[in-house]
Amino acid sequence: MIHLQGVSKSYSRGEHAVLACAVDRLDVEAGEQVALVGRSGTGKTTLLHILAGILCADAGEVAVVGERLDQLGEAARDRHRGRHIGMVYQTFNLLQPFTALENVLMGALFGRGAAGDARDRAEALLREVGLADRMHHRPAELSVGQVQRVAICRALINDPELVLMDEPLGNQDRATGGQVLDLMLKIASEQKKTVVMVTHDPASAERMQRTVDLATLRGQEAAT
Amino acid sequence: MRLVSISLRNLRVRLVATVLTMMSIVVATALYAGILTMAEQTKARYEGSIGGYQAIAGPNGASELEVVLNTIFNVGEAPGLIPFAVCQKLRSGRGIGRRSQVRFAIPQARGDSISRFNYPVVATVDEMFTKFEWKRAPLVFAAGGPFTFSYGQLMEMAEQLTAYENARRAEVDVDARPPRPLLQKQWRECVIGARVARTLGLKLGDVVTPVHGKVGEFGSHDHPEASCEIVGILASTNSPIDSTIYLPLGIHLLIDGHEQGVFLDPQVPGKSPAQVESMPTSVGRIGLTAVITDPKDHMGPQILRREFGSHPEAQVAWPQEVVPKFLRQIGNAADALAVIAWLVLFVAAVSITVAIYNTMNERRREIAIMRSLGARRAQILTIITGEAALLSLFGALLGVGLCHVAAYAFQEHVEDVTGVFLDWAQLRVWELWLVFGVTGIGAVAGFAPAVKGSMTQVADNLAQNY
Repeated sequence: MIHLQGVSKSYSRGEHAVLACAVDRLDVEAGEQVALVGRSGTGKTTLLHILAGILCADAGEVAVVGERLDQLGEAARDRHRGRHIGMVYQTFNLLQPFTALENVLMGALFGRGAAGDARDRAEALLREVGLADRMHHRPAELSVGQVQRVAICRALINDPELVLMDEPLGNQDRATGGQVLDLMLKIASEQKKTVVMVTHDPASAERMQRTVDLATLRGQEAAT
Repeated sequence: MRLVSISLRNLRVRLVATVLTMMSIVVATALYAGILTMAEQTKARYEGSIGGYQAIAGPNGASELEVVLNTIFNVGEAPGLIPFAVCQKLRSGRGIGRRSQVRFAIPQARGDSISRFNYPVVATVDEMFTKFEWKRAPLVFAAGGPFTFSYGQLMEMAEQLTAYENARRAEVDVDARPPRPLLQKQWRECVIGARVARTLGLKLGDVVTPVHGKVGEFGSHDHPEASCEIVGILASTNSPIDSTIYLPLGIHLLIDGHEQGVFLDPQVPGKSPAQVESMPTSVGRIGLTAVITDPKDHMGPQILRREFGSHPEAQVAWPQEVVPKFLRQIGNAADALAVIAWLVLFVAAVSITVAIYNTMNERRREIAIMRSLGARRAQILTIITGEAALLSLFGALLGVGLCHVAAYAFQEHVEDVTGVFLDWAQLRVWELWLVFGVTGIGAVAGFAPAVKGSMTQVADNLAQNY
């Protein structure tokens, strides 16, 4: 499902290049649930963005859901992300002017296009996560837990093979966060989806099948 | 959900900014549509109103345009008087009348009006309804028929009036003077145009009272002695005829207060106006404002032109030549106004660019989220350009709508002032093209901010908290 080999990504900061992320090798099997952990600044979110095709690695092989992202152009990576990858962010990233249903439908629009059954699928997903009566509410009218469930629905609307989660519990109390993670992992298990989650929370990481410390992926050469 | 739904929602979210920006588009479009409408309907009105007016004999001191505008389109004051002799000559079987083969020569005199709309009163003879042809056929009556004041009656009355006038000028004793002809009761009939009937709610049998001059103006006064019963209402011609009241020329000549102005005194070298006024006059010196005439064949105009080329008091104006020249001048003015409208539209387009461009910073995260969901740059470009296009489309539709509303609201006023009937309900093909054009301009205006939006860095802008 995921194969990274010799990947590095640097940012320019004035005259200096700052290494944001370096991975000698990382493989994730289909259906696997992996937690990416590491200290702040080790490049967890950068790696997630590389996996999503939002960022392009400076070097190395990036193979995700059968595509070499490092060999694709930007538009192709966008299309690949829309069709094969669902994303859940720490800040949920719902669009405020749009209702819960519309936010989910937007995932479909940019993923597989405005297919006729997208609305049915979106409504079914929202019902499944207990938001049948909140479909036409805007994010500001929903609780934090409800917002996150909408974000999960949006990530799953295109039936992606891979779900990337960036600190999905970061803004919530442990109880609420736990419920959301339970829901996500339940759906992922049922639908045999691969999940890669970036987290600081050891308890959340323990609930995944495998935990990968980003520091261990960094080669000696890169680390220096 | 489609891209256009996102564009629409983004406009709705920034409703105040959207409405304010749209206002400039509305104004520009309405202005442009208004100018085009006025120019087009003026052209249609003026070209369509020439009807049966082949040639008009009018005073020499005025321009041909003044003669045509006043006689056909009721615009402005009567530019002067011509002697009745011109009409007599045109109608006679000798001289000009024979050579130019005139089909008819109908005398007209105007100067009075009725109602606050200042509908002009045209004094004439019954030939206006029996011989005059409006688009190759006599004027059609919606109700009633013509009044019965004939050219023969006019001549008979004119002879009597002249005899009385000459006796007066000769200072013959009042008792010894021939009697001034009386305003016959049977003459007090009139025919009104369709618009006069419609706007004033007049019907057959109603009585209208002419006002000397224009209602409300200094010096205007009623002529109750010349009140006429409506015996005919003309069918609509969509021309200034609809706004005209026709009454017998005999009434006009005998109306109280017209005594001093009925006869046109010539300028005689070596004599003062007072001395001229005491000289004998003739029927031919009765003043008219115009004579409507129609040469029978293509030689007629040439002969009339030659005959009137050196006439000291009259000229012949040719509506078929004058009106197109006039319309070209109007067209030039309309073109100049259209340039202003385009400039307003340009400014409006710039305001769209600025308005959307200014929102790009606050929308970076929103765009980054869409990109993270798989939106391509082209789709972001489409959404933002679509906002500008939709904003312009709505503005253009409202602008065209506003133009129609304004045409409806000012229809009467514009017709009173210019003689142009604004058909507010008529939809025209160019309006559709105008809407498309303005929408296209809006889309172009949105392109620069759209490019900026599509260049938004996704990773950098996703990290912000909402």
